[in-house]
Amino acid sequence: MPETTSQMVRITIDGMTVHVPKGTLVIEAARRVGVMIPHFCYHPKLKPDANCRMCLVEIEKVPKLQTACSTPADEGMNIRTATTVVDDAHKSVLEFILANHPLDCPVCDQGGKCDLQDFSHQYTATSRFVETKRIFQKEYFSPLIETQMNRCVQCLRCVRYCDEVMDVKALAPVGRGTMTEIKHFGSHPLDCEFCGGCVQICPVGAITSRLSMYEYRPWMLKRAETICGYCGDGCQITVQTKGQELIEVNSAHGAGRNNGDLCARGFFGFHAASDPQRLTHPLIRRDGRLMQATWEEALEYVAGRVGEIKAAYGGQSVGGLISGRCTNEELYLFQKFLRIAVGTNHIDSSARYGHVNGLQAMRLVQGTHRWTVTFDDILDADVLILVGTNITETNPITGLKVKEAVKKRRATLITIESLEPVVDTMSNIANLSHHHFRIPTSDTHHAIVGLVKAVLEQKLTQPDLAQRHPTYFNAMTSALQQISWQELQAATGIEPEAYVRAAKAAAGARRVVIVAGQLLLRSEQGYSGCLTLLDLLLLTGKLDEPGCGFAPLAEENNDQGAVEMGTVTEFLPGAQPITSGTERERIAKQWKSELPTDKGASLIEMLEQARAGSLKAMFIVGENPVGSLPAAIHAEASLRNLDLLVCQELFLTETAALAHVVLPAASSLEKHGTFTNTEGHVQAVRPSIEPVGESRPDWEIFSALSILLNSPMEYAESKEILKEIRSLIPGYSSLGPTPLPPKVDRSAVDRYLTDGYQHDLATRYHPISRVSRPDGTVRLELTQSLFHSGKLSTRSKGLLQVEGSGRLRISPSDAARFALSEGDRVRLSSTSGEMTTEVKIMERVPQGTAWFPYHFGQAAVQLFECAIDPITHVPSFRTATVSMMKVA
Amino acid sequence: MPKHELILLKNMMQPGYTGSLTDYEKTGGYQALRNTLGKIAPADVTTIVRKSGLRGRGGAGFPTGVKWGFLPKDYQGPRYLCCNADESEPGTFKDRQLMERDPHQVLEGIVLACYAIGSETAYIYIRGEMVLGSKILEQAIGEARVAGYIGKNILGTGINVDVWVHRGAGAYICGEETALLESLEGKRGLPRIKPPFPATHGLYNKPTVVNNVETLANLPHIITRGPEWFAAIGSPPKSTGTRVFCVSGHVKRPGNYEVPMGMTVRELVYEYAGGMRSDKPMKAFIPGGASAPFLTPAHLDVKLDFEHVAAAGSMLGSGGVTVMEEGTSMVWAALRLMEFFYHESCGKCSPCREGSSWLVQTMRRILAKRGRMEDLETLLDLCKNIAGRTVCAFGDAEVAPIQSTLKHWRQEYVDLINEAEAANLIRPEPVGKP
Amino acid sequence: MWSWGSVIGETRAADIRSLAACPLRTYQHQDCGRMTFLEKYKDEIADILSRYPVMRSALIPLLYVAQRDQGYVTESAMQEIAQLLRLTPPQVYETITFYTMFNLKPVGKFHIQVCKSLMCALVGSDTVIEWIKVKLGIASGESTADGLFSLSVVECLAACGTGPMMQINEDYYEQLTEGKLDRILADLRSTGTSPLKSGPFMWPEPAPSERGA
Ligand SMILES: Cc1cc2nc3c(=O)[nH]c(=O)nc-3n(C[C@H](O)[C@H](O)[C@H](O)COP(=O)(O)O)c2cc1C
Ligand code: SF4
Ligand code: FES
Repeated sequence: MPETTSQMVRITIDGMTVHVPKGTLVIEAARRVGVMIPHFCYHPKLKPDANCRMCLVEIEKVPKLQTACSTPADEGMNIRTATTVVDDAHKSVLEFILANHPLDCPVCDQGGKCDLQDFSHQYTATSRFVETKRIFQKEYFSPLIETQMNRCVQCLRCVRYCDEVMDVKALAPVGRGTMTEIKHFGSHPLDCEFCGGCVQICPVGAITSRLSMYEYRPWMLKRAETICGYCGDGCQITVQTKGQELIEVNSAHGAGRNNGDLCARGFFGFHAASDPQRLTHPLIRRDGRLMQATWEEALEYVAGRVGEIKAAYGGQSVGGLISGRCTNEELYLFQKFLRIAVGTNHIDSSARYGHVNGLQAMRLVQGTHRWTVTFDDILDADVLILVGTNITETNPITGLKVKEAVKKRRATLITIESLEPVVDTMSNIANLSHHHFRIPTSDTHHAIVGLVKAVLEQKLTQPDLAQRHPTYFNAMTSALQQISWQELQAATGIEPEAYVRAAKAAAGARRVVIVAGQLLLRSEQGYSGCLTLLDLLLLTGKLDEPGCGFAPLAEENNDQGAVEMGTVTEFLPGAQPITSGTERERIAKQWKSELPTDKGASLIEMLEQARAGSLKAMFIVGENPVGSLPAAIHAEASLRNLDLLVCQELFLTETAALAHVVLPAASSLEKHGTFTNTEGHVQAVRPSIEPVGESRPDWEIFSALSILLNSPMEYAESKEILKEIRSLIPGYSSLGPTPLPPKVDRSAVDRYLTDGYQHDLATRYHPISRVSRPDGTVRLELTQSLFHSGKLSTRSKGLLQVEGSGRLRISPSDAARFALSEGDRVRLSSTSGEMTTEVKIMERVPQGTAWFPYHFGQAAVQLFECAIDPITHVPSFRTATVSMMKVA
Repeated sequence: MPKHELILLKNMMQPGYTGSLTDYEKTGGYQALRNTLGKIAPADVTTIVRKSGLRGRGGAGFPTGVKWGFLPKDYQGPRYLCCNADESEPGTFKDRQLMERDPHQVLEGIVLACYAIGSETAYIYIRGEMVLGSKILEQAIGEARVAGYIGKNILGTGINVDVWVHRGAGAYICGEETALLESLEGKRGLPRIKPPFPATHGLYNKPTVVNNVETLANLPHIITRGPEWFAAIGSPPKSTGTRVFCVSGHVKRPGNYEVPMGMTVRELVYEYAGGMRSDKPMKAFIPGGASAPFLTPAHLDVKLDFEHVAAAGSMLGSGGVTVMEEGTSMVWAALRLMEFFYHESCGKCSPCREGSSWLVQTMRRILAKRGRMEDLETLLDLCKNIAGRTVCAFGDAEVAPIQSTLKHWRQEYVDLINEAEAANLIRPEPVGKP
Repeated sequence: MWSWGSVIGETRAADIRSLAACPLRTYQHQDCGRMTFLEKYKDEIADILSRYPVMRSALIPLLYVAQRDQGYVTESAMQEIAQLLRLTPPQVYETITFYTMFNLKPVGKFHIQVCKSLMCALVGSDTVIEWIKVKLGIASGESTADGLFSLSVVECLAACGTGPMMQINEDYYEQLTEGKLDRILADLRSTGTSPLKSGPFMWPEPAPSERGA
């Protein structure tokens, strides 16, 4: 893309004067004054290719017509887009394009939203072409994407998008001249990231989605703009429906934090809501079996039982767990309901699984519970450090920001990831990395320590830090002296020079953003790793520099909201510590009710209490601890021990199956509300279909129960809850189009530097003892797959076609070592359990490691031990050493 | 027979001259290199070339010294020279001879050019089909490397120039300089949008010069004998030096003839190429390869230099002179070239891609006596809509045969169409199937 | 301007220290047991890679090596090359299909390519094509049943002054006549090569009297 500069130039377009930064493309400059220049191959995301020749314009003093899409504006340019010459040129290009284009609009899914149709109409274009049209043989392309190459106008937008934006390079323009067609490679269907980008960017109907083939004309559809519920990136999507039927999802260029880009989950994963197995009626356990009931029966039953238990054992005998997939309104009301109507602080959410680690670290060091940076800072960064993200699969859209920063804006990328840098069918962020530390997830922390050590030894620290905070500085220095390079090299397999080079790159840059992903956050070193990364920013003086910051990625779409709404036990709404007297008072005043005084239990503590018999009842909303926690936690036994288990769910999960009452909940496609994405951007969720069956939004259920429990929390609509949230939580008082990230709190930093660092310095920086793995074993890691997220995605027919079951991903060298080939079955066993599964050989998996996608992980999860972080109470169970054996 | 001094073909005309390093050195080869490297400042070499008036022999005729001057002066980092040996223009076969018969002359030119532009790496992009040529060049490079003319620390001057032969793989468009660079980068040979020009963003985005084989082969002579000598040859001031014209078609003695620019076509065809092959008179000729518009015998006295050929409505191009005798169908001839262009259109730009298939199909129909009178207007219209509307000059080239034959021999088209009408062969055209 | 994307993301040849360190392990090979082509031509490939600062430049040269090995470029060779150059297979595929000289399917032992462009056509290339069709009993794009000969009709091969001409595998044969053609085919059948192929090219050859002029 031609670089624009800050220098402004004055140009004239059809007599209108416009000032634009020098280098702005003429086609963009024209758009600013409302002149739409027709085009096919141009797209603002892509490097100009000027191949369609549709955008020709006249530029004074230039003899030939020029393509507006590739000509940068320069001082004094006088451009005309509406002369006869230009008009004729446009018509003639259309005539050429129409020559080979079939007139099959009646059966083309692009009909009604096709650029070629629109321009032909605008120019009343016809073609004098009477020869034989070129015809391509139809080939099966893929289960989700359909190609009809006769319609292709060869603008190469799909190919360029796949390469430039996605970095996947799965599409090939094959052949030459008119016989060029877009294909994939090999004698098997397309295998790629299935981001749907090619479908979205094709200006004609050459590439379309199979999920909605022949289903509709655009004008039949109702559209709702909402936020994708699959990950913390918070992409804006447009859900298109026909009645209650979900037809298609797309995202408009320029819209949302994703700027129109989507991943497979967002684009092809929308069918989960309409899965036939959705719960449509309340269920009550009668004689040991869950039986259909009416809402009245179910709610009264629940309220009655809760009342009894409260009366007998006190409010603190009740606990609640909610999913970070719920809206802010629901999360907020859940904790308010539990705190006021029930009288307990035993509240937790899916943020506990890892997100809390990042936020607690940020609170401790910089005094915020949100990023101090945004996606835009990632785009503008000079140096990006990715730690344990596997970003393509976990947070694909944040991944696109990183790719853009590196590919387009030439940021330097440092990665501490377990990925082998190989090229395969998915993009691999390690391939773009300038300093790649390929390290098993469990050793991530050592690599971070290596960077800190290099910073200290190379004197890359902020000049006056040693004077201002000598105790911190000296403590750090001596702690790191304890750790030798030999140890580090032995533990990470990476030579000291590599750390030094990366540390120098980071310290020497102006804008540095550190992105931490779930592989770090959900690991045993989740909390300490984040602190160490923050140390790195502190030492190099970047922590509170503009454009610099620490960005832990949220896993669930609203994990950030879950913390901010106070649905983790240590926090009140606003992520204020539950121990803060002033906050308790302020909130009590607003709520006109006293807050319970107990300390509150986290998820694991609740389960322990349930097993011990002191916790009697639980509300579990959209979470499935039985399926997601390892055997060591004994979640099932704990829950069975309860006198009352109430589940609000879309599907009858393993946990719901144990419940006394199951209440059918509405999915995020069926309700209003807001989500707070990973960067702290609060965005509106809007319904695209009516709640399925008798399901209701979770907040309505809490509200109804609160009335029955005599602490009425009544709201006519979720907006009223949002109003209450806004009045209570500072960060929510303004919902703007761009988030204003909070600033680093200097006083918090000073506290940290004075003594805050002390309490766990020793545990974080200590000599490394190396445990060797016995022969015949692999390091098993539960990972996220690009095609799935949580359990919902496994109900989505589109995604199931790409990845229908969990397969153990192993490296080619391990395949050779264990004499395995693709599709073979293996038995994995650990001290905790065993499972059998099929293997999938993937180049990107490092030797000695095996990855299993946790969305299919019920069986796998049983193989793991569980470690609980003493400070953040995060249970980690993502890595285990297992032995692997081929089975018939 | 030559009535003038040969420059480029001189050595190979010597009896027994094999093109080996020893042979080349015996004729004074690599003296220019010895006298230049480390002795004349690179910028001065550029000045010498500019003063000589040497213009590119690849087709566009851009002044070589001026092109070199476009390279950024203060750029740190690699620069590249690409020798364009893709020679694919129908009617052109001179570079092949220069490379296969006197490879060291080309190599010396390459090293001199590298020295002038500060490049340490040169790639000879030779068309894939010329396997023999590439082997001969490889061998010559090996000899020159051993003798210290190529490689590290050339002749002890501390100057490094590596030369590599890179074979194309069958794509005419890769002769276009930016397509050549794409191809050299291992990609599809699609021309790039200009600006930026290769001088600033060329191979691997680095400053790059692309020069034709014949252009480069002239350099040792210009350096040795001085720019004034060269500038006096041919048709000064604008067309200096000789050209190796490739004469093909219906002449007695087709082949490569090196003559000073400014010679008339008549002289070239009738004196050098021996005149027409039979008693049939000349009907048409193309003065500069397939991309150059056809001319008629009325243009026989046009001087073969850049300006005069352009003034006559054609172009000197690559120097491929193709002669056609009376009796040749001009519609057929134009179609044959059109088929070439259709086959070779890379497909990047819609007008060229779609236009070339459209033009071919229409021309085939006319030749098959199924044409209609309005086809002629459509043809002209399409030509007009292709030329000047594409990324590279291929678009201008592909319409030349049709436009020029329609201009000079429209009656032949009309006759074919009339025959069609007379034979009552016209029937409604089927609309293309979707 | 317009600079990103062209080199970024492509690994420099220097990054691969030696061929041994590069990922030779590859997708499943259909015919296991056969030495993969990268291993077989290790030294030649290392030499090719050393010529370019950006690895992708080695693509066409490597495809030639693959084609030499099997007579055409196989799917697995494309995969191996892709992996070596850190490209995706589609990137190799898009390049290979742009150029006419690569075969994606087996061709005859002798691949006859006759030029049909205007300059050769003026001197009778169409007749030559007819001769070959009749003599070998194949049409353009076909191979003889014994797998010896394939025929393609191609565009200009830069031998316009010495047409009609054809290329068979790596060699040019020019100024074809029917007798010459017969001899070439017979030579190829019997010895696999023909002395009638063109040497270092020069035309017109200087008459003895002109030499040294
Ligand atoms: C379609 C097309 C094909 C070309 N083919 C060749 C070619 O085969 N050989 C060549 O030297 N130049 C060819 N050129 C010209 C080159 O683009 C370029 O101008 C030339 O290599 C520059 O070298 P020169 O300045 O020494 O002539 C071609 C140009 C176009 C537009
Ligand atoms: S498939 Fe669509 S996006 Fe891709 S080249 Fe063809 S028209 Fe363009
Ligand atoms: S939009 Fe400008 S050439 Fe396609």
